[in-house]
Amino acid sequence: MKAHALYGAAGRLALGLIVPLALFALWDHQARNGGANAFAFVSAAQVGRALRELLHSGDLALAYGSSLKNAFGGLFWGSLAGLLTGAAMALVRPVDWALTPIYHSFRQVPLLGWLPLIGLWFGSGDLSKLIVIGLSAFYPAVLYTYEGLKGVEARMLEVGQLYRLTAWQTFWTIRWPSALPSIFTGLLQSLAFAWIATIGVELLFPSGFGLGTVMQHGQLQARLDIVVVCIVVVGLTGFLINLLVSRLSRHALRWRAVRS
Amino acid sequence: MSIDPRHSAPPAQSPLRQTGALSLKDVRKHFDFKDRALTVLTGFNLDVRPGEFLSIVGPSGCGKSTLLRLISGLDDAYEGSITLDGTRVAGTSLERGLVFQDHRLFPWMTLEDNIGFALIRRDLSKVARNRLVRDHIALVGLDGFEKAYPHQLSGGMTQRAAIARALVNEPKVLLLDEPFGALDALTRVHMQTELQRIWMAQGSTMIMITHDVEEALYLGDRVAVMQAHPGRITHIVDVDLPHPRDRASPLLHRLKDDILAELTATQAGRGDSVVHLAHRRGDAAAG
Amino acid sequence: MSGGTPSAKTVVTMASPLCVLLLWHGLTAARVFPPEVLVSPQAVLAAFDSLIRTGELARHLGESLQRLLWGFGIGSGSGLLFGLAMALSVTFSRLFDPLFQALRQVPVLAFIPLLILVFGIDEVFKIVIIAKAAFFPTALSTLDGVRGVPKAWFEVARIYRTPLPALVWRVLIPATVPAVLSGVRLSLTRAWLVLVAAELIVADSGIGQMMEMGRQMFRLDVVMVGVIVAGVIGFALDRGFVLLQARMQRWRPPATGAAA
Repeated sequence: MKAHALYGAAGRLALGLIVPLALFALWDHQARNGGANAFAFVSAAQVGRALRELLHSGDLALAYGSSLKNAFGGLFWGSLAGLLTGAAMALVRPVDWALTPIYHSFRQVPLLGWLPLIGLWFGSGDLSKLIVIGLSAFYPAVLYTYEGLKGVEARMLEVGQLYRLTAWQTFWTIRWPSALPSIFTGLLQSLAFAWIATIGVELLFPSGFGLGTVMQHGQLQARLDIVVVCIVVVGLTGFLINLLVSRLSRHALRWRAVRS
Repeated sequence: MSIDPRHSAPPAQSPLRQTGALSLKDVRKHFDFKDRALTVLTGFNLDVRPGEFLSIVGPSGCGKSTLLRLISGLDDAYEGSITLDGTRVAGTSLERGLVFQDHRLFPWMTLEDNIGFALIRRDLSKVARNRLVRDHIALVGLDGFEKAYPHQLSGGMTQRAAIARALVNEPKVLLLDEPFGALDALTRVHMQTELQRIWMAQGSTMIMITHDVEEALYLGDRVAVMQAHPGRITHIVDVDLPHPRDRASPLLHRLKDDILAELTATQAGRGDSVVHLAHRRGDAAAG
Repeated sequence: MSGGTPSAKTVVTMASPLCVLLLWHGLTAARVFPPEVLVSPQAVLAAFDSLIRTGELARHLGESLQRLLWGFGIGSGSGLLFGLAMALSVTFSRLFDPLFQALRQVPVLAFIPLLILVFGIDEVFKIVIIAKAAFFPTALSTLDGVRGVPKAWFEVARIYRTPLPALVWRVLIPATVPAVLSGVRLSLTRAWLVLVAAELIVADSGIGQMMEMGRQMFRLDVVMVGVIVAGVIGFALDRGFVLLQARMQRWRPPATGAAA
């Protein structure tokens, strides 16, 4: 039984590797033997060399650090503002009425569509980047905070009424904890969007230094190897960030019944 | 079902507590549905004696739960008067505890935090607070589960916790809204025995709503029978047996038959008749 | 319950966007900012008018929507098929799952430099990047939707000896349509976002290019027209889709938290 399971797991792994390996071999073959678009393909060895080159010069570390700084700066300010706005909308009805139409109409504009406008207003420096990344984190934070706080069940609030809690006590003991799962979902989304926005902003605003900038330069110099290294780093980071936040939220929400 | 020997002493009809006298006079309640008023209770009168266990049975929709919401103060839009020890009921109060059918424990709090929740508005020292919580956890027999989250407890245990939360303030009146309605039959029997023990130990006035006639009789000093449209009490049955009780008592069984006969008679009187199917074809489905 | 508040709500809801407009107008009328920084609403209207009359706006918009149609159609159609294959065939899912999961981690925008190098900056690149953006949400929701059909319903079908076509048509499709549609909706939103971004980076036409040109020529009025049009189109696409969705699943109880 156990041996079978082990075999099964190994088999599954092998099956899963077939397609990536086949694609990889095809790619490598194209690069070496010069297919129709040979100039566009780079061999695995070249990518490895590019990685070593970027690591050695310190460019990768520098770019990575600056991208992370942008992403987390935007995430912090954007989700903080989003949390406060969403909470104000959920708790104070006139604020809800006034801000809901404005929020929804601003949200319709594709995020990067703001870039030209923000570029004109704030230049193409770090402030503009921070604003766009912050905006990307702001939207989900508002939405999920609002829905979390609004979605508190009336039957739970009745218990607070029964024990004569003040509004403040009700907020901290009932509303806030019951909104937390939703708020964490929002944070997860904010994080994902902030990372995407970081790459987008760096591609579009060539100033400064970041993974997007390095990719942009790689593209201009037709250095596909550099571009591929950056894509892998960006993808891995996205994956790790996701993992980290879901672990964190699972810890903070450990009171929830585990889904089976 | 034999009786736990520990409690075979005569019931402690609390010398300490001569409070908890609840009185409802000509209470009327209606809901507005799009300009139409739906009368739920009308001319409702009831006097509950201090320290008494009163059961209320009735068909669904007869306004039982509305009644408890009015007494608890969760809903205070009514006409007439509801008084506790002579003071008119207005809003919720720690003097009146309520156990819901769904336990309504907060999933993000541990058992002890859930019970301590009821004490937030009480000005108590930390020591006194912990002591109260601990005592009441012990009272409902949940020692050792202080740090458990609700999702880690069984249905019966969460309902015990809900009872502990309602009792931790030592309310004059404890209201129970079908507290065991969601439990399976065996757990329910067990919880009834437990509730009887807790009531005898605590001595609060308790008012329990149920649609289980047997449960009402087993626990209640008196059983009020309600009817719907509009909700009213048709009569009150005195259950003249000492606590703790024997489920096998012939008196309980006779009373049960009487009450059930009354409740079902009015149901049938509403014009139910047997519907005959026009055809019953003989082609039984294969396999 | 109502307490006479609906009228107050309507007033506040209507007044708040008006206040924003008035503030905008007031700021420009009082010349708080120079006109290169903040153009007046009238100037934006004038630019809008001239863009319509010269036919420029229609041309850009037509190009953008055509790209969107192709990219979204290809991406979300193939996503649907891919998701179905993943859900129904264990072997297929084992073959492709690792690659699918890995590619999913990389933000679409990070692929822009790579795709430019491989496909050039022509139409193909834009359609591929939009298709890529539309592919993943649809594939993922189809996969989850089909896998998530409760086993209990299959058992009900077995009890009544439901034939396979009826099972597919009467049970499987209605059961999966809601999930699939919500994925397709997300695909549409993503496609529009990426389209605008791609046009900002490389394009000779399209709404994004119009904005980018406006930025380079410091035509704030044109940029703002672009922002508004991009928002309105995004809104219209999403609304249109929601209406379609509602028609296709009338049996569902109306969702309460469906803030669009």
